[in-house]
Amino acid sequence: MSQEIVSKVSSYLTPHVPLNLIAQGAEAVVFTTNVHPYLPAKDSSNKSYIIKYRPAKRYRHPLIDRSLTKHRTLSESRLLAKLFLIPGLKVPQLIACDVYNGYLWIEFLGEDLPNNGGFSNLKNFLWMFASSDPYDPIVKETLIKVGQQIGLLHWNDYCHGDLTSSNIVLVREGFQSWQPYLIDFGLGSSSNMVEDKGVDLYVLERAIVSTHSLFAETYKEWLMDGFSQVYRGNGSNGEKKLKEVISRFQEVRMRGRKRSMIG
Amino acid sequence: MVNLNTVLPKNGRNYYVALGLEGSANKLGVGVIKHPLLAEHEDGDLSFKCESEIMANIRDTYVTPPGEGFLPRDTARHHRNWCVRLIKKALQEAGIKEPSRDLDVICFTRGPGMGAPLHSVAIAARTISLLWDIPLVGVNHCVGHIEMGREITGAANPVVLYVSGGNTQVIAYSEKRYRIFGETLDIAIGNCLDRFARTLRIPNTPSPGYNIEQLAKKCSDKEALVELPYTVKGMDLSMSGILAYIETLAKDLFKGNRKNKTLFDSKTGEQKIGVDDLCYALQENLFAMLVEITERAMAHVNSNQVLIVGGVGCNERLQEMMGQMCGDRAFGQVHATDERFCIDNGVMIAQAGLLEYRMGQATTDFSKTVVTQKFRTDEVYVGWRE
Repeated sequence: MSQEIVSKVSSYLTPHVPLNLIAQGAEAVVFTTNVHPYLPAKDSSNKSYIIKYRPAKRYRHPLIDRSLTKHRTLSESRLLAKLFLIPGLKVPQLIACDVYNGYLWIEFLGEDLPNNGGFSNLKNFLWMFASSDPYDPIVKETLIKVGQQIGLLHWNDYCHGDLTSSNIVLVREGFQSWQPYLIDFGLGSSSNMVEDKGVDLYVLERAIVSTHSLFAETYKEWLMDGFSQVYRGNGSNGEKKLKEVISRFQEVRMRGRKRSMIG
Repeated sequence: MVNLNTVLPKNGRNYYVALGLEGSANKLGVGVIKHPLLAEHEDGDLSFKCESEIMANIRDTYVTPPGEGFLPRDTARHHRNWCVRLIKKALQEAGIKEPSRDLDVICFTRGPGMGAPLHSVAIAARTISLLWDIPLVGVNHCVGHIEMGREITGAANPVVLYVSGGNTQVIAYSEKRYRIFGETLDIAIGNCLDRFARTLRIPNTPSPGYNIEQLAKKCSDKEALVELPYTVKGMDLSMSGILAYIETLAKDLFKGNRKNKTLFDSKTGEQKIGVDDLCYALQENLFAMLVEITERAMAHVNSNQVLIVGGVGCNERLQEMMGQMCGDRAFGQVHATDERFCIDNGVMIAQAGLLEYRMGQATTDFSKTVVTQKFRTDEVYVGWRE
């Protein structure tokens, strides 16, 4: 199956675009390439780019499939474009999109961690420190920054929808400092509902607890520190909204995301 | 380690026999099931391979006239009227002459479902329990569907799509519970189809969903599709909006409201869309949503098997779409059962109940046999799996 998709993508993108499959989820397939869609070749030869492709689903009626692909690719690219303009918020830059065929062309971020630590997302980063010093000052600084990013996202009334430690990419800044970027806004939306924000935080908490359970308590504290900083930086209004989000977050945790029983 | 032979069969028999009573909605089902006592069940999770033999599986459905749904009170009355007759017939079919000697356990549906019908069947179960001095097991209806599906198809650890009149859930097993990964945020899929059928006065025999499926097959122009809302939210879905929208269309169609441009040509006033087109569009839309959340769950838990259970699960179009989705995944397999086991029945209650009984979970204390309308799938401790 994946071979079928790869050959379809490469015939669409022409042989001039080399492809490297890096991930396949339920909805999209992700490739890397070193070709920029519109800049001259010499400027882009060293950089990598992400191509996110939503393949057509055979089981769906073609009309439903087409409208969904278009709608989802469009809303994701709009969201990315808007988030990119928010000062302080770090998301990858959108380079190009073809919403009718389901292609997104995004800036590639991150690097490989030293000692075969894998790709520099938050998950691998925390794994790397788990064996040496899980409470290293660098970890603390990074997690607070992650919290700030999420706080900034929520403060501007956007939601991620699928916050996990693998959807946060770390980009090296200087020698021992990392800047987190939020990626994959496939389930993201613009929302001012406290509920959505509470669910976002709950999903993140579950992800941290399930993959880094030993140190989760401290990690959660640091994340929430960063999150609160952003809200507190906005005066009494921020203070009020922070209380709302946190109390809803606790409520969501109590009921385990799901309502008790419906119909 | 799971030992399914914790409790041995009565009277030194080399097999277990269980009677199952189901009546959570408009179907009253009585089933008798037999499990041989096998040595390999003493260690390891083989709960999907009980080599069960179905001795009887009878069902009686309370059918209402077109345009009407079933009300709890009337359904309960139907169950009370038929319960004794069905139990007698099932025992006769299974060749059980002396129930107090030949039955190990009586299983009944504890929930979820409609209160009054559940209650009437539970009373019947308690009565025969006292009469024949046999312990009782209260079974979660959803778990009954899952266990029957696993036993029939032999799927060891599938992602389960449970679709029926009252439930729409995507379930996967993890650490002694059937966890719910995605579900409906408002009404169930069967409920959505039934209510649509009611608006269109589609007959309720044999079931509204079946008639919608047949009408959809007759749709002449499958290229065109009436556009409906598509409301998947992560791994959950919502169907009330779709129902409200398509009901407006259906009503306009009946009234002949020519102002509706989706249904009638704006210039000539000619009817563009018929009942079969609406049925087709509704099915395509709803089922695409179901298959999508199932695929998400499969990617999430890294599974390649799907099991479809519940009344809507016998829809062939849904099975076909699920098959296409699985075909596109590596080693994907789809398991489904036919109407005997998809639609609510007594055998599935007996199957799940007997597994529970074999793990030593039966009771004779009636205060523990109280039925409940709200009974989550993940509340059940699944002792018989690893």
